[in-house]
Amino acid sequence: MKEREIKRAVREGYAQIAKQAGSCCSVGGPCEATLSDDIYKRIGYSDEEIMAAPMASNLGLGCGNPLALASIKSGETVLDMGSGAGLDCFLASRKVGQKGFVIGIDMTSEMVERARANARKGNYTNIDFRQGELENMPVMDGIIDVVISNCVINLVPNKRSVFKEAYRVLKPGGRLMVSDIVLHRELPAAVKNSPEGYIGCLSGAVLKEEYLDAIRWAGFGDVRVEEEAAFPLDSLIKGLQEPAISKEGLSEMKSSVFSIKVSGTKPAT
Amino acid sequence: MKRDLMEILACPLCKGDLTLEVFEEDEREIITGKLFCQACNETYPIEDGIPNMLPPDLRD
Repeated sequence: MKEREIKRAVREGYAQIAKQAGSCCSVGGPCEATLSDDIYKRIGYSDEEIMAAPMASNLGLGCGNPLALASIKSGETVLDMGSGAGLDCFLASRKVGQKGFVIGIDMTSEMVERARANARKGNYTNIDFRQGELENMPVMDGIIDVVISNCVINLVPNKRSVFKEAYRVLKPGGRLMVSDIVLHRELPAAVKNSPEGYIGCLSGAVLKEEYLDAIRWAGFGDVRVEEEAAFPLDSLIKGLQEPAISKEGLSEMKSSVFSIKVSGTKPAT
Repeated sequence: MKRDLMEILACPLCKGDLTLEVFEEDEREIITGKLFCQACNETYPIEDGIPNMLPPDLRD
């Protein structure tokens, strides 16, 4: 698929999800597992965090909580790349406090609308949501303290350009804290070329080394994988058309899809 | 869109400054308006409180 076609498919897929308000990664049907709080605890959100955010902001789309490791401080400016319905922004908002700001950017208008409605309902005054493209963010150079992103960059065809943008908007010494899905082995062609697989965070995922190289290529130093875990693949592949993959192919895929939490720093000078 | 955060905004294409025109605003935020980049001669609409900062070829 060409990049623009992929973007359109991803945007339409997530617009549907925003409207349905709940079902997750696979467009073929809701994946019950990721909808439960239990999964959220497993990927690193605390009870308190789950309770603190507006219910409607949690669409069950993330693959790990970057906040768990982001060490966001009071007064900082945080940017969430691919903010969806706003869950991580609401959690970050509490950490930065009234002297800080949180900016959420998402390319799907339905998601941004939900996020804004949630912010107004919850009276969050230090968050702003904008509709924008991660490769071309509407943000000035060098003004962000922490860039976070939760299971989104896999959806963007050109990962290098996303990390380059993250680097551009960060202050010198600023931190990148992302979670995402990566591969240990290439996916079968049938999955890689399907739009459903793309929307379900699978087809767009790249090999772990390629992902980390893209971050380093953008200029980040001290690039580290903070955590790595096998990803519950069953929830993702429901949306794939049969006869996409054989049984053997499926079990091979299950051992090659991982979620990782990665950090990096923009050098101070 | 919050007025305070206007200074952080930039044109997604050239990253230059934007000029804000407000049509409707409440006590919390700008509801309708537009942002204009003089360098690119491009306008970005603000509707329902959300600035649409997608590059023109990605908009609907």
